[in-house]
Amino acid sequence: MKTDTTLTRLRAANPVAEVTTVDNDALFDRIVATPAEAAPRRSRRPNRRMLVLVAATFVAAAAASTAYALTHWVFPDVVHAPVSRAEYKRAQTILELPPGYTWPAIDFRADTVMVRGGGGSMAVSIDQSAWECYWVGAIKRGDPAAATRAQSVLADLMTNRISVAPQGAPENWAPEGATFPHLVYADDGGYQFKQRIYAEAAAGKPAGLEQSCRANGP
Amino acid sequence: MTDTTDEARFRTIFAHLGAVTAYAARRGSRDPDGVAAEVMTIAWRRLAAVPADDPLPWLYGTARNVVYAEARSRRRTAPSEAASAPAPEVRSLDPELDAALRGLRDSDREALLLVAWEDLAPTQAAAALGITPTAFRVRLFRARRRLQAALAQTQSAPLTQLDVEGT
Repeated sequence: MKTDTTLTRLRAANPVAEVTTVDNDALFDRIVATPAEAAPRRSRRPNRRMLVLVAATFVAAAAASTAYALTHWVFPDVVHAPVSRAEYKRAQTILELPPGYTWPAIDFRADTVMVRGGGGSMAVSIDQSAWECYWVGAIKRGDPAAATRAQSVLADLMTNRISVAPQGAPENWAPEGATFPHLVYADDGGYQFKQRIYAEAAAGKPAGLEQSCRANGP
Repeated sequence: MTDTTDEARFRTIFAHLGAVTAYAARRGSRDPDGVAAEVMTIAWRRLAAVPADDPLPWLYGTARNVVYAEARSRRRTAPSEAASAPAPEVRSLDPELDAALRGLRDSDREALLLVAWEDLAPTQAAAALGITPTAFRVRLFRARRRLQAALAQTQSAPLTQLDVEGT
């Protein structure tokens, strides 16, 4: 079973499909008759979150050298936030977003660890979703030139920037000689699903493309 | 005394009462109206914390906590019942799907349902769960895969094993 049919089936199984407009004035009046909290009250007790943070900082500092050694010894392809952030930025200079779209700011927190190239992979994924939505918009407003352009960019991404990992491949598998940035799909039919919805959209049946945009788009 | 501007703002939040009631019903609450009233009371009390531009994700996030509290309370008051319903019990209209959903982790199930049943966009669903949109997309992708696998397993199982609805 493919991704689209799973979500469609899930939508169809919604036990309360309709949201009724409730006009409950009595409840509204009852609620607003109670005092609203003007501002967060300051607790006199020691701030538990702060205590946990201090303790965690101490433990992290003590373990830092070991952790660093471990990640670089056991997981040689694991990189930290600055590398992923730089990869994401660099990918933005290589990939092109559709007109009117901007790159979302991604918060690579200090404790983020990703496989090398992961920042670029995220950019490819975002770019792909953006072009899908651009294509949907082009179809809706009857702009064949824009639709053709989106189809062409997506075809290029699928051919040159996206691969499918072989079954049983490790999480950080990448094709030999892959150009940066590159995205790897798991071998679960996702790549074929994308190919199918693109072909259907090109043939005038954009339902799958629309659903993909709704689920993954910006 | 309450400010009329606060009341006006709360009225826009209160307009989502029906959506919150539906959410609670979809998550198996025994008292969806009560849950929605509780959520709205919390929203009023914590008006400053409710995002003004799009309060719905905040309301769903709060409703989720209230539904969970309801389930925990049920467990305390009726332990024998809780043995068969340890968490808020999602019931869809599709028995096979029900079985597959029950097998998922709670966080995966919620990610799927926020998109499929609550019709939230990924950024809204991420806000409801208190995670980044990127993290949500990854979670949704994995949840879909797990649901597909669970459904495939259910469909390939002998029919006698599929009859789990009455249990």
